[in-house]
Amino acid sequence: MTATLPETAHEQTDKYARLIQPTRVHGSLYTDPEIFAEELEHIWYRTWVYVGHVSEVPEPGDYVRKNIGPQDVVMTRDRDGEVHLLLNRCAHRGNLVCDAPSGNSNSFRCPYHGWTYRNNGDLLGYPYNKGYGGKGKLALGLGRIPRVASHQGFVFGSFAPDGPTLAEHLGAAAGELDRLARLSPEGEVELTAGWLKHRTRANWKLLAENETDGYHPQFVHGSIFSVTGSPIGALYSDNSTAVTRDLGGGHSENDLRPEFRRFAEPMRWFGTTEDRVPDYVARMRELHGPAAEEILIEGSPHVMIFPNLFIAEIQLFVIQPLSVGECVQHSTAVQFKGAPELNRRMVSQCVGSVGPAGMLLADDTEMYERNQRGVALRDPEWVDIRRGVERERADENGFRIGTATDETGMRGFWSHYRNLMEAEK
Amino acid sequence: MTETETDTGIETESGTKSLTGTVGSEFAEVAVSIDTAANGPRLRLEDRRTGRVRYLDALELETLVWLPDGDLRRLLDPSAHRWHDDAGS
Repeated sequence: MTATLPETAHEQTDKYARLIQPTRVHGSLYTDPEIFAEELEHIWYRTWVYVGHVSEVPEPGDYVRKNIGPQDVVMTRDRDGEVHLLLNRCAHRGNLVCDAPSGNSNSFRCPYHGWTYRNNGDLLGYPYNKGYGGKGKLALGLGRIPRVASHQGFVFGSFAPDGPTLAEHLGAAAGELDRLARLSPEGEVELTAGWLKHRTRANWKLLAENETDGYHPQFVHGSIFSVTGSPIGALYSDNSTAVTRDLGGGHSENDLRPEFRRFAEPMRWFGTTEDRVPDYVARMRELHGPAAEEILIEGSPHVMIFPNLFIAEIQLFVIQPLSVGECVQHSTAVQFKGAPELNRRMVSQCVGSVGPAGMLLADDTEMYERNQRGVALRDPEWVDIRRGVERERADENGFRIGTATDETGMRGFWSHYRNLMEAEK
Repeated sequence: MTETETDTGIETESGTKSLTGTVGSEFAEVAVSIDTAANGPRLRLEDRRTGRVRYLDALELETLVWLPDGDLRRLLDPSAHRWHDDAGS
């Protein structure tokens, strides 16, 4: 008997310690199919992953097709109002049971042999039951994601039957979802604007890292800033008082509030003035009284919630990895319940930024795909993440912060990633 | 994709114009209309995939409204009535 770890676990620990260092990470992390397979087991099929929003299944019987990485998931609402995350796989021969991207049906019938399921995953029956000795003889059903939990209507699933709670996983990032929801006059976010899907030939981590990289906007998004006269570019410069914050748990944010507070103009965060959205501003003031000013000035978060949910003020992205070199970006406009005036503007802004002819996501995606090709080159082997490491400090709550253009968020991402990848299964 | 199409003035088989529509999903598609050819109105349901038709009167519909979920689930078992070993279909 020995008290040491088995050899394979040692190797695993050594491997990720070698590949992930405090100020650089190895290019193979983005290109090695074996590492991607390990990520599925250690991250995507274990930790809490964002799946969908309750507003996408508002009525009993509603369902939508979702995913966790390559896994096809059906999010349903049963007659009692409970939301379920089911695997879209017939218990008989493994066929996909649901085909439509969304619909309303309290039960699902597999098109292959007619096996029929309740929308909570229970098997209701199968045709010609004598072949199974009669009805109700099979203890089978649709696969279920063992743990489902939500925060502010954002539904997360975890394939691990045990482990940290969703609240523990989200930590300080939960406050960012709260900050988003409080911008609704009714306190609720709705993801009802429809989804755009962009297939991207890049490793998912390039996206996750980029979401709170405040160093790239001046370059990659220079064209949209100049065309629209947007003041956003200046928020990501050496003169900016905005900060990049490592929220722990792999989550990070670009906190632009210091800049917005400096100007103290309601709706500046949205690139507009209050006279353009008078009904919305009036409703917020009616609801919150003097406290409305802070809400309307500070605006919406810019937060990356590990590993796949990115909220960029007015739009929301879900990252779906398919393989080591391919992923899908699902994007939609944030909508606030009770704010039709603001919602219309958010949709049109999103069309301009992430729509088929949008200027923001297309620019980023070009960088992701070039980056994927670049990191596969042999020399230099490393990706540098040291920017701002010397000027990083702890904020009043103990979180690491850097300037608006520092790589503090990336370092937090990799630190958490390494912990997960080194953990024993 | 779930669809609910509503048209008015569609000719039913009994020659009576009636409010009609289709309740469809990826799993089933049923044409729905209120038939007024009889002495009283009744709901006409047509399985669009097979053409099979059933009429439901007001009392039968009320019974469905009050049918416990468990009873409905038992009816949804494919081998309960439609696809059982003694059936001809």
